[in-house]
Amino acid sequence: MENKHITIFHGPQHPGITGNMSIELDLIGETIQKATTHVGYLHRGFEKLIERRTVIQAFTIVCRICVPEPDPNEANFAMAVEELAGLEVTPRAQYIRVMVLELSRLAAQFLWMAGQSGSIGLYAVGQWAIADRDLILDLFEELTGARVYHMYIYPGGVRRDLPEGFLERVTTLLIYMKKRLKDYDDIFINNASFKNRAVGVGIISKEEAVANGYVGQVLRGCGIKADVRKDAPYLVYNELEFEVPTQTTGDVYARALVRRAEMDQSLHILDQVVRKMPEGKVMIKIPTHRKFKLPKDDTWVKVESARGEFAYYMAGDGSEKIRRMQVRGPSLVHAYTLLEDLLIGAELSDVALIMNSLGICPPEIER
Amino acid sequence: MKWSVDLKGTLSPLSIITAFWLKPNTIAYPAVKKETAKGYRGFHTNFLADCIGCANCQDVCMNDAIDMIKTDKEYNSKNTSQCIPRIDYGRCCWCSLCTDVCPPNSLKLEDDYLNVTKHASDFLYMPKDKE
Repeated sequence: MENKHITIFHGPQHPGITGNMSIELDLIGETIQKATTHVGYLHRGFEKLIERRTVIQAFTIVCRICVPEPDPNEANFAMAVEELAGLEVTPRAQYIRVMVLELSRLAAQFLWMAGQSGSIGLYAVGQWAIADRDLILDLFEELTGARVYHMYIYPGGVRRDLPEGFLERVTTLLIYMKKRLKDYDDIFINNASFKNRAVGVGIISKEEAVANGYVGQVLRGCGIKADVRKDAPYLVYNELEFEVPTQTTGDVYARALVRRAEMDQSLHILDQVVRKMPEGKVMIKIPTHRKFKLPKDDTWVKVESARGEFAYYMAGDGSEKIRRMQVRGPSLVHAYTLLEDLLIGAELSDVALIMNSLGICPPEIER
Repeated sequence: MKWSVDLKGTLSPLSIITAFWLKPNTIAYPAVKKETAKGYRGFHTNFLADCIGCANCQDVCMNDAIDMIKTDKEYNSKNTSQCIPRIDYGRCCWCSLCTDVCPPNSLKLEDDYLNVTKHASDFLYMPKDKE
């Protein structure tokens, strides 16, 4: 029987899709001829909502821009406000911020591992990864009072000081994680099933990655050493030692290896943060929410999230409200230009595999 | 598709068998309850002896989740409005800004977070007074 064109929707309700979005696939047999990304399932209008609130009120919204990794949003927002308002954060608050950001990166990588392994049917890895991520969330619960949306990194510092004995508990977790990550190497990263599926799939060339503005593991997976923490250090990253892992092949497996190496680097950074944590205050005095005004100026700040460069543009107009805020995350370019290109010629069974390797988070596209 | 023999990659996943002897990460809820961390942002409490009815909490709430309601309970003599906050948990995002701006520090978030009800109106929650 002759194969005919079939059009199917992959998502928005599909276990192999990273969030509420869908990909329209034109197939001949199992091979994809054309892929079209559709978003619009969870538009909440963050940028517009922020314009209608005072600076302090807006701070509670930004963490919702990325569910798996809310902290880079909080850090970006706080850093942008501080830069506009001319606030200087205490060293202890900066170290705590780095600790929160690295713990959050680690949690996000575990979530990626769950999704990436699930996309090829290695469900045990997913169960383990979610359980281990929960250990990090336990620490967040203790530090911030919430497990997922922490609302902790605040303009002027952080909202609470470290609880008693918290650094010891972080150290205990680091020791456990260093041992535990080797188990993931055995059952997932070095697993022949994963290698056979991921090597040579979803290849991106160096030139293409640079020309289209791809970031994060997509860029590092094809050999470009780009990391905001090194290229434009923020907080206290310039006082910490770490490497930027890269691979050269640019395929799904290269991106997985980069992510796995980054988990080791996060543990290394956390280890240094725990040892170097300075004493002092965690919050400077800031005006109340009716009196907190931003000058007529604008700024562009960026951090390195678990999925790549994450930037905020913020403009003030002299009032207590933010005139304009724009979010530039990795998901927009990765979900549109990159995913649509990569899927052409790929097999239907590789859609979830490729998509998970790109770090796409739909709320960030529809901010 | 090219298949090659990857001995290490084939054998190393078998180490998962050792997980049978590991202690499970899960707990047998509800027989065993997980202890909530100190400082968890759960339901509100309001110490009426301290609350001055200033409505700062209502003002800062970006979700309009707080209404000031006349109270018939015993209240602080400085509370000239005789109003105390009521939280709409259909709107609240537990950001805790309301507790941050509370001048007498009477409004707080406690670690209790379970509320099972048949009535949607119970989302309008009157913070418990401290005992």
